[in-house]
Amino acid sequence: MRKSLSRALPSVLAVATSLVACFLAVGLTRGFGSAVDAFTAMLWGAFGDWPRYVETGNAGAVLRPLGEAGTKAALLTFTGLSVAVAFRVGLFNIGAQGQLMVGALAAAVVGAQVQLPPLVHVTACLLAAAVAGALYALGPALLKVHRGVHEVISTIMLNWIAVSLVENWLVVGPLRATASGDNSIPGTAQLHASAELPRLLGESSRLNLGFLLALLAAAGTWLFLSRFSKGYEWRAIGLNAEAARAGGIDVGKGLVHAMALAGAFAGLAGAVLVQGTELKYPASLGAPYGFDGIAMALIGSGHPLGVTAAALLFGGLRAGGTRMQLFGVHKSFPELIQGLALLLVAARLVWDRLLARLAKKKPPEEAARA
Amino acid sequence: MIELTHITKRFGSVLALDDVSLSIAPGERLAVVGENGAGKSSLMNVLYGLYHPDAGEVRFDGTPVKVKTPAEALARGVGMVHQHFTLVPTLTVAENVVLGAEPRRGGLLDLDAAIAQVQASCRRFGFSVDARARVDTLTVGSQQKVEIVKALHRGVGTLILDEPTAVLTPQEADELFAVTRALSESGLAVVLISHKLKEVLAFATRVAVMRRGKKVAEVRPAETSADALAELMVGEKAVSLPPGPLLAGRGEAALRVEHLRTDKLHDVSFSLHAGEILGIAGVDGNGQRELALVLTGLRDYTGTLELFGRRFPYLTPGQARAQGVAHIPEDRLHRAVVADLTVEENVALGRHAAPPFAKGPLIDFAGRRQRTAALLEANDVRPRDGTLRVGALSGGNQQKLVVGRELDGQPKVLVVVQPTRGLDIAAVAQVRRRLDEERRRGCAVLLVSLDLDEVLALSDRVLVFFEGRVTAELDRAHLDERLIGRRMLGVADA
Repeated sequence: MRKSLSRALPSVLAVATSLVACFLAVGLTRGFGSAVDAFTAMLWGAFGDWPRYVETGNAGAVLRPLGEAGTKAALLTFTGLSVAVAFRVGLFNIGAQGQLMVGALAAAVVGAQVQLPPLVHVTACLLAAAVAGALYALGPALLKVHRGVHEVISTIMLNWIAVSLVENWLVVGPLRATASGDNSIPGTAQLHASAELPRLLGESSRLNLGFLLALLAAAGTWLFLSRFSKGYEWRAIGLNAEAARAGGIDVGKGLVHAMALAGAFAGLAGAVLVQGTELKYPASLGAPYGFDGIAMALIGSGHPLGVTAAALLFGGLRAGGTRMQLFGVHKSFPELIQGLALLLVAARLVWDRLLARLAKKKPPEEAARA
Repeated sequence: MIELTHITKRFGSVLALDDVSLSIAPGERLAVVGENGAGKSSLMNVLYGLYHPDAGEVRFDGTPVKVKTPAEALARGVGMVHQHFTLVPTLTVAENVVLGAEPRRGGLLDLDAAIAQVQASCRRFGFSVDARARVDTLTVGSQQKVEIVKALHRGVGTLILDEPTAVLTPQEADELFAVTRALSESGLAVVLISHKLKEVLAFATRVAVMRRGKKVAEVRPAETSADALAELMVGEKAVSLPPGPLLAGRGEAALRVEHLRTDKLHDVSFSLHAGEILGIAGVDGNGQRELALVLTGLRDYTGTLELFGRRFPYLTPGQARAQGVAHIPEDRLHRAVVADLTVEENVALGRHAAPPFAKGPLIDFAGRRQRTAALLEANDVRPRDGTLRVGALSGGNQQKLVVGRELDGQPKVLVVVQPTRGLDIAAVAQVRRRLDEERRRGCAVLLVSLDLDEVLALSDRVLVFFEGRVTAELDRAHLDERLIGRRMLGVADA
């Protein structure tokens, strides 16, 4: 446990440094009074406006922000897991965005075009999205295993294919909602109520079942990787595929399965977006959660629980970011914090050296060579 | 003159170097011998700036210096050639040698000047290497020469060679020693880290013996013998297999190949029987390794391959394992262990889905820990800690772990490649004894080794490989070293 905590330290430091740097940036350009106000607003927007709740007794002041943070965190957790799972077998899944889109579309179609009893309908939509995402990731995995095509190239290309296919054609063409009266509605048809993910905190908050599903997925992935023989195989493949192969592990199968799971997670992110908040496939999906997944996976060190922690934090900051607008800070500011944190995580060597020096101990590499 | 005085270095609770003092004078050939983990490499890594001592100091001509990085060591004239080479395979010899101090013209690499410089260096130091050749096209022996030229090219006055002959053929080793001897006679100090006492005695002018982190003796080769050195190293009488005829307990054919072909094997046919050790002799790069890869399912082939009478049109590593084929590969960090997994996890590798390593789909942590503890004890893997990363073990202990793991499953066929490479005397004896025990148990053992002495000492039968073909087959009663030597070089009988 202590070992995994010390492994998380560089990420924590990176995020903290990023927060401080961004605070200074606002302070130096807008004055430190504004910076404090803006960051406080972001904090209340992220984790609940507790002072206002105490003042007015309005539970919504806390529940609404928490709901927004939770819904965003759920999406980031799913896409983060998608990238992290691929990481663990040594693949770089840049295609979470495309997998998310096809997943979202599958959920939107099953949710709107099929009539089923409530619980069954929700499940059917989620399954459809997971399968769609998995299938979309399967292509790159098979190409990698059988033809040696690098997954970064194929998944990037499939992202563009998804954009063209889903957003530029299906959603504005064959699957577009039929206009009611004079109003033409962008996006696909509205989901049936039976396909919507149930809300968790009542009507004042958009927090829905997707949040719990994301936490379950993260816990499940963690257990799978650390407790199951199959998960052990995946880790061995990711760390030394040649030794894994010599040990009799079917490396190709491991890569294909892991990539399918990665695709399924991204697909589920799409489903949670559609069934939880959008309630249809909208004209545009908004934030590129699939790409944010890469940041979550890296900041979370590829560990399912690390990914969840990163997603909770950045989901919160993003939800709070909208409130920063009141203080003249653009609402995309949390993305800047995230980007800077990512950069600092990528510069991990710096932290390792610094920590080693601070601890007055040998750098980890040296101990490894002994 | 370089002096290491009272050097102490700890890794966690392990005392790697315990108050070691050593001096290196210009023009001398100092051999540092000792078992795996005795601290030879650690000591030299201190001098080379890779490790920083907890106590003691390094003095150059009397001045204490803190050598923080290999770059600083190089600047002070200390070069080191490691067991694992640090060359860029896709670059040429010249590009590798000048890397870090490239001749430039207008901000660009001046390739012609680099080639000229490197050719000049090769000539001056007596190495025959083509400066324009790409490193990955060279043999291991030539790559090592490139490493040495690289150090000499920087003008080092002290050259550390870490187990240089582990990867060389006897001829290449002779050549290496001839060249370095000439260099030392013109003033270069050479430090040789080695287990091979024969070469140490032939080459060195002074021998420092290390045992468990301490320097236990310093002797002149003329005043000692291989036996005496071995005793100093091990601290007790060294063990070696008795020579003489082996048991004739040959059983059924376990493995049979006919007209086996890959790009490196041409029409190879033979059978391997239960209860025998079949040695494969040959100069490096004549298809022996390829054969081991084919038999363990790691390389595609055409031709017939039968295991216990069952024909395999193709063989996966999983199928090979299921048939009872165990594999002790040459390059353990590449093929045998996952350095970033723990010892326990590596012990499970290959049989992780079956008891005692798994309970249903779950990992059986308790079973795995128990089995690992027993295995570490039985094979004397140090330290006895299953939770360590395998990458943190010394090379010898990694090898003991691999041997222990592969034999743990009581294999029916054992494919071993260079099993004692880089091991110390005690570990070599232990590994050889284990192979002999396997043979007596009825296992069919295929032994690939570049060390002809090893092949001759252990094998019931020997196949000689040359350019992917079997050029001779001899049984133990008719082993003829000179005939094998000729066939290894593809020379027909006179």
